Amino acid sequence: MKNYFSKTIFLLLLLAVPVYSWSQTDKFFYKAAGSPVNPKVKASWNKYYTNQGVNDLCTQLSKAYPNLVSLEVIGKSYQGRDIVLLTISDKKAKDPSGKPGYWIDGNIHSVELQGTEMALYTAWYLCEMYADNEFIKKLLAEKTFYIAPTINPDGREFFTSQTVPPRSGLAPRDNDRDGLFDEDGFDDLNGDGEVSIMRIKNPSGTMRTDPSDPRKMIRVKPGETGEYDYLGIEGIDNDGDGLINEDTPGGYDGNRDWGFNWEPNYVQNGADKYPFTFPENQAVRDFVARHPNISGSQSFHNTGGMILRGPSIKGGGAEVYSRQDDEVINSIGEIGEKIIPGYRLLTIWKDMYTVWGGELDWMHGNGIFVFSNELWNPYLMFYDTANTDQYDFDRLLLFDDAFVPWQKVNHPQYGEIEIGGFKKNFGRLHPGFMLETDAHRNAAFCIYNANQLPVLEIKDISIKNIDGGLKEVSATVANTRAIPTHSASNMKFRIDHPVYVTLEGGSVIAAMIVNDKLLNNTTEQKKNPKRLEIKNIAGNSQVDLRWIVKGGSEFTVKVESEKGGNTSAKAK
Amino acid sequence: MKIVTKLLCLAILELLLAMQLPAQLKYRDFKTLSADIQSLASRYQSLCTYKSLAKTHDGKDIWVLTIGTGDIEQKPGVAVFGTVEGNYIAGREMALGFAENILRDSESADVKNLLESLTFYVFPDIAPDAAEQYFAQLKYERKVNSGSTDDDRDFQTDEDPYEDLNNDGLITLIRILDPTGNYIESTDDKRIMAVADISKGQTGAYLVFSEGIDNDKDGKFNEDGPGGVNANRNFTYNFEEYGLNTGYHAMSEPETKAVADFLFDHFNIYMTIAFGPQDNLGQPMKESERQNDPVLADPFEAGRGFVGGSGRGFTREPADRRLTSITKKDAVINKLASDKYHEITGAKGNPQPAQAPGNFMEWAYFHYGRYSFSTPGWWIAADKGKSAEASFLAFAAKKQLPDVFIPWTEIKHPDFPGKKAEAGGIRPFVMYTPPADTLKDVVLANYKFVKALADMHPELEFLDLKTENAGENIFRVTLKVHNKGIFATMAEAGLTNQWTRLMKITAEPGKGQTIISGQKIQRIQRLDGGAAAEFSWLVSGRGTLAVTAGAVNTGIIRTNIDVK
Repeated sequence: MKNYFSKTIFLLLLLAVPVYSWSQTDKFFYKAAGSPVNPKVKASWNKYYTNQGVNDLCTQLSKAYPNLVSLEVIGKSYQGRDIVLLTISDKKAKDPSGKPGYWIDGNIHSVELQGTEMALYTAWYLCEMYADNEFIKKLLAEKTFYIAPTINPDGREFFTSQTVPPRSGLAPRDNDRDGLFDEDGFDDLNGDGEVSIMRIKNPSGTMRTDPSDPRKMIRVKPGETGEYDYLGIEGIDNDGDGLINEDTPGGYDGNRDWGFNWEPNYVQNGADKYPFTFPENQAVRDFVARHPNISGSQSFHNTGGMILRGPSIKGGGAEVYSRQDDEVINSIGEIGEKIIPGYRLLTIWKDMYTVWGGELDWMHGNGIFVFSNELWNPYLMFYDTANTDQYDFDRLLLFDDAFVPWQKVNHPQYGEIEIGGFKKNFGRLHPGFMLETDAHRNAAFCIYNANQLPVLEIKDISIKNIDGGLKEVSATVANTRAIPTHSASNMKFRIDHPVYVTLEGGSVIAAMIVNDKLLNNTTEQKKNPKRLEIKNIAGNSQVDLRWIVKGGSEFTVKVESEKGGNTSAKAK
Repeated sequence: MKIVTKLLCLAILELLLAMQLPAQLKYRDFKTLSADIQSLASRYQSLCTYKSLAKTHDGKDIWVLTIGTGDIEQKPGVAVFGTVEGNYIAGREMALGFAENILRDSESADVKNLLESLTFYVFPDIAPDAAEQYFAQLKYERKVNSGSTDDDRDFQTDEDPYEDLNNDGLITLIRILDPTGNYIESTDDKRIMAVADISKGQTGAYLVFSEGIDNDKDGKFNEDGPGGVNANRNFTYNFEEYGLNTGYHAMSEPETKAVADFLFDHFNIYMTIAFGPQDNLGQPMKESERQNDPVLADPFEAGRGFVGGSGRGFTREPADRRLTSITKKDAVINKLASDKYHEITGAKGNPQPAQAPGNFMEWAYFHYGRYSFSTPGWWIAADKGKSAEASFLAFAAKKQLPDVFIPWTEIKHPDFPGKKAEAGGIRPFVMYTPPADTLKDVVLANYKFVKALADMHPELEFLDLKTENAGENIFRVTLKVHNKGIFATMAEAGLTNQWTRLMKITAEPGKGQTIISGQKIQRIQRLDGGAAAEFSWLVSGRGTLAVTAGAVNTGIIRTNIDVK
């Protein structure tokens, strides 16, 4: 009897388990403002995704939201890993490639892991909020997101499965120019998966430990006695040339590999042979070239809490910035400062350093409005710009989880030394509990950006009979958002065709752009008057157009813009 | 009977040999060029190999011939480039002619010696799509490959080509009598059109365009013909983004990328010589007054820093480190090369300077970091105060070159109804292309120059080798590494370039020996011609110390030092 009873209980429990999880949200959770309460795709944002995790999450999203998400592989990394891209848009409301597009990539620098999480969060959030949020619904009806969570999967793999990765990918490079490739990298001397700092005891050294915190090293002041010298990053002289860690795996910078303002290695550290040496960047180049609808972009980096804008070299390079473009960039960037507290809108060459051949300038040169956020900011530790002590933060909030305690090891060249210091997941990367907050804020900035990509509307079509049995058809085309259809670079290099506005119906005799309606100041387009060509429709502005037509009673005005989308309207 | 057969065979053989070395060379189309490369390599199998680096849009091969003996990749290399810009059709004759001549002379003592020390890489033509226009039905000075591009960026491709309006198979010029034009007949030579000079009280009388019509009615003539990118605008130095025929980005083309990849992979190459429009042999490059920040300070530290390290926080980049003119030491070698060029080839004056963004010659110096020389190989120096065209026509008259000028003849031009239009002008190519009867001499003269220039290559030797007994079974070994060549061990411009090799010296102790002072492996600084660096080690124990010094771009030398 007893036995039977316990068996029944067990069976009941077995049956109850799926039922229990099926209904748990109804019973257990209540929606918090602005977040999905019952996401179809379970994701958590207090950890980092490995490549496998990234690909799995992307696959889950594409399966859960087939009407919103397309998953594709846009290329392979140097080591043959997939570069995965999500296209997110309401597929039922127009073809995604015909809508203004917003590009997001992350992790071009291997240690800048969390760009991927910011990108993934954005994708996940758009999908999970779509059903219940009117703003997101409208956004995905109007716009398309192209999200490549990591454009450097080899570096990510190295970070999550080996030691401290190179700046970017893993193509071997002879950094010390001795004819050997990648022969002297970092070494994990104590086998803890970390590459820490080496120090050696030296009574006349330049450093000593902080008496109030033995983890911390401080510089010896004049008159004080030293205790240690720093020996650099954990490693040995693998090739016996008297130098340590001078030819690590890879050893170039994927963000100095782009086709605008490219300069070689002796001018720009990290540059390689020529622009687009690396397959990862070639994949992005080719995708962007095939998608002229991409009109805004974000490349996530770390660190320092910056919303970076170009130019990246003094005076700008080949790409150009007009006063109007500048105003648009600054106004969006300033909203970003508000959305992400502690982040500042800064100009790369002026506020950081010069970058030749960066992704941002290439994007800008190709007519795309682009920002690059440097994620994580010491301010975020205590919401205080004055108190940014990492040791305090680690002790009080992370309970020493971020620090490798100093320990003795035997070094083949230096003898007995000590290694220790912060782990590679701290300092530049968000601690787990802060990742979702910053991901949401950065996603919100991307969403704001995407919403400001141009939206073209046809207004006020009017038909008037004029002398000679002809008709005058007038129409106004408005861009209702902040970003223009054509940036100054786009116009200078003629990246996209002009905005085409075609009149169908009747036979067009002449056509003109109306510069001033009241003064009747017009500019005639002599060639092909049926299809008027407008160089640019600036943000929050409109253009007035006029055709002189013979015959016809019903007219259609069609607008085609690569970065502003297509639309049409009819009138009788 | 047998003897007769033998004699007959000999006669045929002689006939064949005579055919192989014609008294007068001809310009070869791509098919002939390719066949000649193959037969050359098969005739000199032990010295010469060839391979295709890439296919152009037209499916033409980018050939490279490798000429050398022994361990060819471990010897300093010289890269010889023929046609780098498609209208310089003579370039490939000079490059392939160099290969033909050096192989023919390969049994002579001086060439034998040269091939002991050096490897030659010969690229006859890196713009074969364009160069083929010389042999086409319609001849014009084409510079672009056959990739289809929107040259005038009007969202149509190849919509406004040339038209042969006077049906002579050539594209020359058209002139239209029109007071709004700004051209007049030149005072140097009435056949030539020159821009009116208002300061001399002149106003224009003609419109002048290249021969053709305005197909797309945009007011421009022949601005978007067939084809796309000029290889000699597609290299990274001073590359012009979205410039005319420059390419989607630097090294975007199969030709340029393949050539650059080959060169970057060949660290042994220390010098390039190109036969193209750029010139630094007629007139050497000069060091400019305004040079950017010292880039040459510390070869090992530059090119590192932020990249290899873990870099928490930021390092501020130093000031603009672009090289914008030849360095002081390289200028000395350039001047020497230029003097030699005049001396050996007998060339007078210098060709018209050809400034161009993204060209090969400047790339090879500034971005590839090698000694880089370029010459058209043949030119007519402009007479003082005269235009290049007028000087050429005067030369042609003196040499009685036929048909160099297509006389202006009236044509009907659909874009200028009711106006007098004429087609005419200097025949395409003749200004840059030595007349066929002089080609052999021109090729030979340039071959002799390349040989002489290569003969000044860097070459290492050990000098003043000394072993001192310091007592207690300890020995001090001292030696000098001496560059006995004229050229430095690398161009100064290559000092901080990641794509050049640094020399190192390695001392490998024998069994039972240890080095107690001095690095086992250390770097050797750049050595000018004639310069030396001294090294010493303290060695404990008797035996043989094996010393190796150099890099692939200088040659690697070895010695075994008996320590006793």
